[in-house]
Amino acid sequence: MSSETLIIQAGLSERSRKSRLPARLDLLQSLSGLFLALFMWGHMFFVASILLGKDAMWTITKFFEGYHFFGKAYPWLVSVVVAVVIAVFVVHAMLAVRKFPINYRQFRVFRAHAKSMRHGDTTLWMWQVYSGFAMFFLASAHLYQMLVWPQDIGPFGSGGRMWVDGLWPFYLVLLLLVEFHGSIGLYRLAVKWCWPNCSREFLKKLKWGITAFFLVLGLATLGAYMKIGYDYQENYKNGERYTPTWAQQAEESAK
Amino acid sequence: MKVIFTDVLVIGGGLAGLRMGIGAKRRGHEVIVLSLVPPKRSHSAAAQGGMQASLANVIKGQGDNEDVHFEDTVRGSDWGADQDVARMFANTAPKAVRELAAWGLPWSRVTPGDRQVIINSQKVTITERDEARGLVAQRDFGGTKKWRTCYVADGTGHAMLYTASDRAISEGVEVHERTEAIALIHDGKRCYGAVVRDLITGELRAYLAKATTIATGGAGKLYRVTTNAVICEGIGHAIALETGVAALGNMEAMQFHPTGIVPLGILVTEGCRGDGGLLRDVDGHRFMPDYEPEKKELASRDVVSRRMEEHIRKGKGVKSRFGEHLWLDITLLGRHHIEHNLREVKEICESFMGIDPAEKWIPVRPAHHYTMGGVRTNHTGESPHLKGLFAAGEAACWDMHGFNRLGGNSVAETVVAGMIVGEFIADFCDKQENHVDVPMKLVEGFMEREDAKLKALLNSKGTEKAFQLNEEMQEIMASSVGVFRNGEALKNCVEKLQDMLKRSRNIGLTSKIPGVNPELVAAYRTQKMLKLALTVAYGALQRTESRGAHFREDYPNRDDQQWLKRTLSFWRDENATLPELQYEALDVMKMELPPGWRGYGAKDYIDHSDTAKRQAEIDEIRKKMEDEGKDRFAIQDALMPFRDKLPENLRGLNERIDEPLNG
Amino acid sequence: MSNGQNNTASGGKTRQRTLTFHILRYNPQDPDSKPRMQSYQVEEAEGMTLFLALSEIREHQDPTLQYDFVCRAGICGSCSMVINGRPGLACRTLTQDLETDVTLAPLPVFELIGDLSVNTGKWMRGMSERLETWVHTKEEEVNLSKAESRMDPELAEQIYELDRCVECGSCVAACGTAQMRQDFVGAVGMNKIARFKLDPRDVRTDDDFYEVVGDDSGVFGCMSLLGCHDVCPKELPLQTQIAFLRRKMATIGC
Repeated sequence: MSSETLIIQAGLSERSRKSRLPARLDLLQSLSGLFLALFMWGHMFFVASILLGKDAMWTITKFFEGYHFFGKAYPWLVSVVVAVVIAVFVVHAMLAVRKFPINYRQFRVFRAHAKSMRHGDTTLWMWQVYSGFAMFFLASAHLYQMLVWPQDIGPFGSGGRMWVDGLWPFYLVLLLLVEFHGSIGLYRLAVKWCWPNCSREFLKKLKWGITAFFLVLGLATLGAYMKIGYDYQENYKNGERYTPTWAQQAEESAK
Repeated sequence: MKVIFTDVLVIGGGLAGLRMGIGAKRRGHEVIVLSLVPPKRSHSAAAQGGMQASLANVIKGQGDNEDVHFEDTVRGSDWGADQDVARMFANTAPKAVRELAAWGLPWSRVTPGDRQVIINSQKVTITERDEARGLVAQRDFGGTKKWRTCYVADGTGHAMLYTASDRAISEGVEVHERTEAIALIHDGKRCYGAVVRDLITGELRAYLAKATTIATGGAGKLYRVTTNAVICEGIGHAIALETGVAALGNMEAMQFHPTGIVPLGILVTEGCRGDGGLLRDVDGHRFMPDYEPEKKELASRDVVSRRMEEHIRKGKGVKSRFGEHLWLDITLLGRHHIEHNLREVKEICESFMGIDPAEKWIPVRPAHHYTMGGVRTNHTGESPHLKGLFAAGEAACWDMHGFNRLGGNSVAETVVAGMIVGEFIADFCDKQENHVDVPMKLVEGFMEREDAKLKALLNSKGTEKAFQLNEEMQEIMASSVGVFRNGEALKNCVEKLQDMLKRSRNIGLTSKIPGVNPELVAAYRTQKMLKLALTVAYGALQRTESRGAHFREDYPNRDDQQWLKRTLSFWRDENATLPELQYEALDVMKMELPPGWRGYGAKDYIDHSDTAKRQAEIDEIRKKMEDEGKDRFAIQDALMPFRDKLPENLRGLNERIDEPLNG
Repeated sequence: MSNGQNNTASGGKTRQRTLTFHILRYNPQDPDSKPRMQSYQVEEAEGMTLFLALSEIREHQDPTLQYDFVCRAGICGSCSMVINGRPGLACRTLTQDLETDVTLAPLPVFELIGDLSVNTGKWMRGMSERLETWVHTKEEEVNLSKAESRMDPELAEQIYELDRCVECGSCVAACGTAQMRQDFVGAVGMNKIARFKLDPRDVRTDDDFYEVVGDDSGVFGCMSLLGCHDVCPKELPLQTQIAFLRRKMATIGC
């Protein structure tokens, strides 16, 4: 057994040189959060491509499936990306949960504290805990789905999931959670590491601006998918995948 | 009975107590410091303006040295000071500043080159020397010939207290917070420690030590309006007095600070005037030059306070619902200066009066500020009457302040006395003959007596209320033993206080809750404070002259012939209602600086019969030695040798830019 | 030329209000005591602070009420309590800035002595011992005759800026982490480390500082909710100092 193990077991770790791990974990928590938040910004823009039309969305999807590089789509490429995101997500969740209240006593004390203080940053953190906790489940479910059935991503597939499978309430909730959690998290990062070194008032305004922007974008996108889901429910039920306009035209002209 | 043994018991966790504790601990003695509050909350923290030490770094301090500091201090004291002690002090003050600097105190430092200052309400450009770059800076203060007050913005006391307290923690000095010594244990000859009450649980414990030290600060709460903290009730003074053996010296010497804010009496620092602030009256007129053309606003505190009250009596005060006041104008210093060097002042003005001192004048009036008197000690800090009892700082009458203390000399005294007395205490504890076998029967007796007193208060059916008595005492002290005093009012005051003391033996409590019980605390403290108030009022009544802060309208002159002596108060009979006073003459023939005019204030005084003789002697020695080319140290030594009175490690000279050390 | 007219000291007006104080009472020394709210009514006076109001209550209505005041001038840090839900210095709180109903409670986190009195001193001493909040020097003995070492005036001012902390405990009471982790050093501790890190007289390196604050009860436990920064009565730049320390300590760890 290593001496370190024995030292820890004997309860003497406080007496030896302090572990460098807490520093790394703290940094990792921030970096994983940053990665996820930036990923979600990108993700939002990609899914919002539906607002530019089904073709745009299809193109982006196929781009991620490597269509533009290999001339053929490989949905498992998306699975790879999803797997990476899942890994970061799990790491972030593990690190963040260390900060959560670990028992009812702590939770009760913190809630009373936040209520009494009426202090913006403290209240926002309560939201982080709630939204983070909820995302353990909701985001996990979504990620699992994307990991296993990446080929279902597309105008018909995604739209159908919203409308025909009735998952739009799930996505609505997830959207709200992600946008609040992400922007509060980014704000917290700026404050935590003090970069850029500017006032919290400004950062807060910026944060609310970003939240509002992505919420509007997100709601519009959700609406667009729901409409497609409604308009093309039969196609979805038949397992049909969306064919881009140029391919339809090519097909028609071929006929 | 719970008993705690140690080598040195320090009662009081302010600067003096902590520094003594550090000193004794470093010499290998176990130390326990008792403190009413966490030490960093002590009233030392409230010293804003600075600490005098003749470093002579700034250009306006050039030429300053121990001699000048000594003379300023003695003049300030109106010749009431013990000149040996004033010498010991002046020599050690630079060492104290430098020690604190090494311990991490962020003293404000000198920036070389031109800077604008306000002197006598004029903008003046002064040029700091390049050699002074980064050395500790000094500012001007009242009653000083040179700029000598070292400072940390206007949080000097705070920064000093934190540095000393953290140093004490690093040295492992044990502090028992929230404890109060309520009686000294002694057998009439030797002090063995104290009966101590735990201010959390109410429990009594006996602390036994080779040396017991009182460093409990001032007794400002004898007065209604005081700059002192709530805890400055003089209980340390009182328990020494209650031994019936130890004496309190010069209790009638109470200082009133010119600039207490109205109505709370919170202090705004002398640094305001030192940095160029002015006093104005109802017409906006700057009146101090009319009275004190030489030093103006920067005469000593007793003089400025008196002039202010005098001016108010002439009808020049500003009327407000809280009575009359005058204005302190620091607007001319400019916002930048106020926000950097006087920020505590700014905070106080904003928080308590809602005014911006960079824009508006501050309403001020003299408020009780400092207790020059205290437990009488010899130059080692030990009571000449009770062996094993020491005192230092404001609680002591070591006697470097006499009848008026100079601004910046009190925090200086705390650390300087802490250094000096700390060494003497260690010497005391080192000596085999001072190791004691404490007679436990005696300890038990004291514990039982104190316990019985507290129980009697708790069970008393008395009708007097402690809080009310305390308030009455504060009122009469403020009205009769203030800036101006006269025989009739003092006589009346003493009688009333005697009556109150009798009434205080009939205090009843409304609550008997377990634990510390604030009402019980007020009850036993009020009983002690009334005795203390009597030493002040009675001492003032008996002293038929005016000296320093003690001003008798019916005896307006200083009378060296009759009164060049120190008042000693004893309380030998527990049931008495008056202290017994004795007087200790000051020997003019041994003085380095015989009595004369202070350089400000009244010019008519009655000389002592020895003064002229001693002055002639001094002049002769000085002339002779100067002709022989002797340096100032040799001349000083011929006039009044003091160096061998200091602990060995503090006898060295002090390096200055213009006085480099040889080798 | 400015003048001082119309100050609060000279200006009279304002209607008389009756203030109601709702105070959380509990005496741990009394086995029969249970935490409860008790209300007191006080006639407001001009320039009244919570110090004056509470003194009035103790001296004229309820002599059992426990609280801590020392300097009553906002200098010593003794009297921090939870005023209408937030920690602050009671002596410096003017009643005219409050509604007629005022709720007072003791600071959380610290050991309760009784009613509004808490043992901040014990906590702070523990913190000081743990973080070694003093300048660590090479030589033990200072040569007292020699001139002091020089220091850049601006640096001295910067150090004093952080040295202004009065250890009142407001930052700890306002800290989300401290509510949950009893061993958290709080902003007061981190500010001290930042202060000694700045001080060239302290020979400790970043590695040494890491030893005392480089874990989850130190700087990495801080979640940057900054209740500390927002309640600090001395307006210390805690946000910047904590971030600065976090960056330095993270660098050590990586």
